[in-house]
Amino acid sequence: MYQTLLTRRYLIGRVMPLLAILAVVLCTAMVLIVWSVMAGFLNMLLAQGRALMGDVVVNWPVEGIPYYQQLIEDLENDPLCEAAAPTIEAPGLMALPEPGGTRLVQIVGVDGPSYDRVTNFNELLWWQPIDEALPKDTDERDLRLRVPEQMRTEGLTLREFDPETEELRSAVVTGVWVSGFNRRNRAGFIDSYYTFFPTEEVTVSVLPLSDRGAVIDVAARRFPVANEFQTGLYDADANSVLIELGALQEMLHMDAAERIEDDFDYLAVTEDDDGEENFAQPTVVAEDPARVTSILLRAAEGVTPAQLRDRAKAIYAEFDMKMDGEVPPSDFVKVETWEERPAVRTFIGAVKKEMALLLSLFGFISMTAAFLVCAIFWAMVSEKTRDIGILRAVGASKGGVAWLFLRYGLVIGFVGSMFGLAVSYAIVLNINPIHEWLGQALGIYVWDPEIYHFTRIPSEIEPLKASYVFIGGVLFSLIGAAIPAINASRLDPVRALRFE
Amino acid sequence: MTLISAHNLTKTYRLGRVDVPVLRGVDVNVERGEWLAVLGASGSGKSTLLHLLGGLDRPDKGSGSTIEFEGRSLADMSARELDRHRNTRVGFVFQFYHLLPELTVLENTALGSMIRYGRIGYRMKAGEVRKRANEILTEFGLEHRLRHRPAELSGGERQRTALARALMNAPDLLLADEPTGNLDRKTGDRILESIERFHKEHGQTIIMVTHDPLIAERADRCIRLVDGLAVDGADVDAEDHVALSS
Repeated sequence: MYQTLLTRRYLIGRVMPLLAILAVVLCTAMVLIVWSVMAGFLNMLLAQGRALMGDVVVNWPVEGIPYYQQLIEDLENDPLCEAAAPTIEAPGLMALPEPGGTRLVQIVGVDGPSYDRVTNFNELLWWQPIDEALPKDTDERDLRLRVPEQMRTEGLTLREFDPETEELRSAVVTGVWVSGFNRRNRAGFIDSYYTFFPTEEVTVSVLPLSDRGAVIDVAARRFPVANEFQTGLYDADANSVLIELGALQEMLHMDAAERIEDDFDYLAVTEDDDGEENFAQPTVVAEDPARVTSILLRAAEGVTPAQLRDRAKAIYAEFDMKMDGEVPPSDFVKVETWEERPAVRTFIGAVKKEMALLLSLFGFISMTAAFLVCAIFWAMVSEKTRDIGILRAVGASKGGVAWLFLRYGLVIGFVGSMFGLAVSYAIVLNINPIHEWLGQALGIYVWDPEIYHFTRIPSEIEPLKASYVFIGGVLFSLIGAAIPAINASRLDPVRALRFE
Repeated sequence: MTLISAHNLTKTYRLGRVDVPVLRGVDVNVERGEWLAVLGASGSGKSTLLHLLGGLDRPDKGSGSTIEFEGRSLADMSARELDRHRNTRVGFVFQFYHLLPELTVLENTALGSMIRYGRIGYRMKAGEVRKRANEILTEFGLEHRLRHRPAELSGGERQRTALARALMNAPDLLLADEPTGNLDRKTGDRILESIERFHKEHGQTIIMVTHDPLIAERADRCIRLVDGLAVDGADVDAEDHVALSS
């Protein structure tokens, strides 16, 4: 009882405990703000990283998976799988219009509609009409305010209307940083330099390979640029070029074809019914099915990528059995979640490490709160030495005296952490206006959209993180108070009474 | 009936590298309801004797010192029992009042009861405790000062508050360490009158340390500490009166 009373009295009207509370407020707020923003940043990257590849990838490079339509049907019939899309991944060259030069790129052949069902590709297309200018785009210079709806459709189908032939023509959609003609400005939208890339044409060259991986040809073809996409992952946005699946299959000789007899004599001549001589026609001995190197899967609502991966492995094994050696063996086909893919793992791993490092640094700095509380309590125990002697003289136990100061630390930690959470909530929820104000008033842009690829800073606080920080703040204060509290309890009451 | 008896009390303080013996075998015996005055010069070990008798300090180890309270040795008590002993059986009054500056007069008085009953017990007995504190403070003429802090009180009022705190839990033994030493004669006399009244009306056992023979005269019996030993009260009077007259 006396501890409650004295804690309250010691707390009110004194500068030192207020300073300790302030230290706890600052430390908890600092950690929670950094953690929330970094975690938001990471979540955004994860969402973007996942954007181009769905939840799970079934992959057999070079040779590709035949009868993939059948496999996709099997996969889509499973309740764990929401959608599946065939793709081909292959290295290639892209010759840009002047002065772009030629670039080594990752070519991805996709079937627009199914790809959209798996990845929400539609949302990644950069050039599509927007209703409102970005907050910082006061002059409404963003070209997206003026682009036609047709650009979205052409980007999505990877086909563009050719006025000369009046037919749809296969097109490419490139990452926004592939061409080098785009720059992001501080307002957060993209400015086009030299030329507006989606009005241009490019030449894409790929190398069809044999079953054994040997180059058997060079295929080059002109494509119009239908649109550009932005995932937020720089690597994908700077190197990936999407091509309509059928076109890439043709270029890579992965489309459906007829197989003729091996020993056919191309110079053989035959006579028809009228006695005219013609070159002999080969006999078709088999149909070679079209192939794709990857099948991307989207998990159904509430299904984790890992669950879908395991299910997809089982489905592929059944498919392998059913096709009786006509498809790559299930033991060797890679079925991975998007996070398990090497490029993603490296990138996300780096960001996670960066966040852990930042948190460790700020957490370490936050330990100063514990030291500050410790120093303040040390001073307070010295100041209150005689009180401790009095308490002991009237029968307070050593534990009772220790609890008095521990309780005091607990209250400081509790109050400080509560205010810390309130401050961080206020800052994180308003971080964008604050950032904007800092930029305008002081010219400080900590999260420059030119660099970070996002126009709004993530502004969400997860309750679990907030509770961890709260517990940490209270715990640090308690640790800070523990040593002075133990010291206080060990004071010789007679000496304490004589203390001046 | 003997309330407290101490035999061969020895206490040595260490000042730097030097051992300074303060008590060198003091024997004290106090009957229930008796008022014993302990006289002695400054540094003679009066306060030390009081601290030892009150269980606030322990005699030298291995010295053969014993302190028995109602026949039970304080040395045999655990730390918890000793805390309880100080809380319920003994009341301390100090020369410099030693009130907690953050608490009001009422709270200072009730401090011992707060410790005694604990958090839950105190809540159940809060009314009772407050009533007792009010009574005792009224008895000491402090009924108009209940909500005041020590800094707002005169020296006499502070000492009366300290006295009320010491007597709050109705201790068997009141240990007063020069309770008037920091007060003017008139105020000191009022405090002594209060103590005397309590002694007479309630049969309170008192051990009071003082260097003033006139105060000691109010007690039933006196001893004097000389060279770390207790000398009988008869000699005390003679010596001190000589000292005073000179």
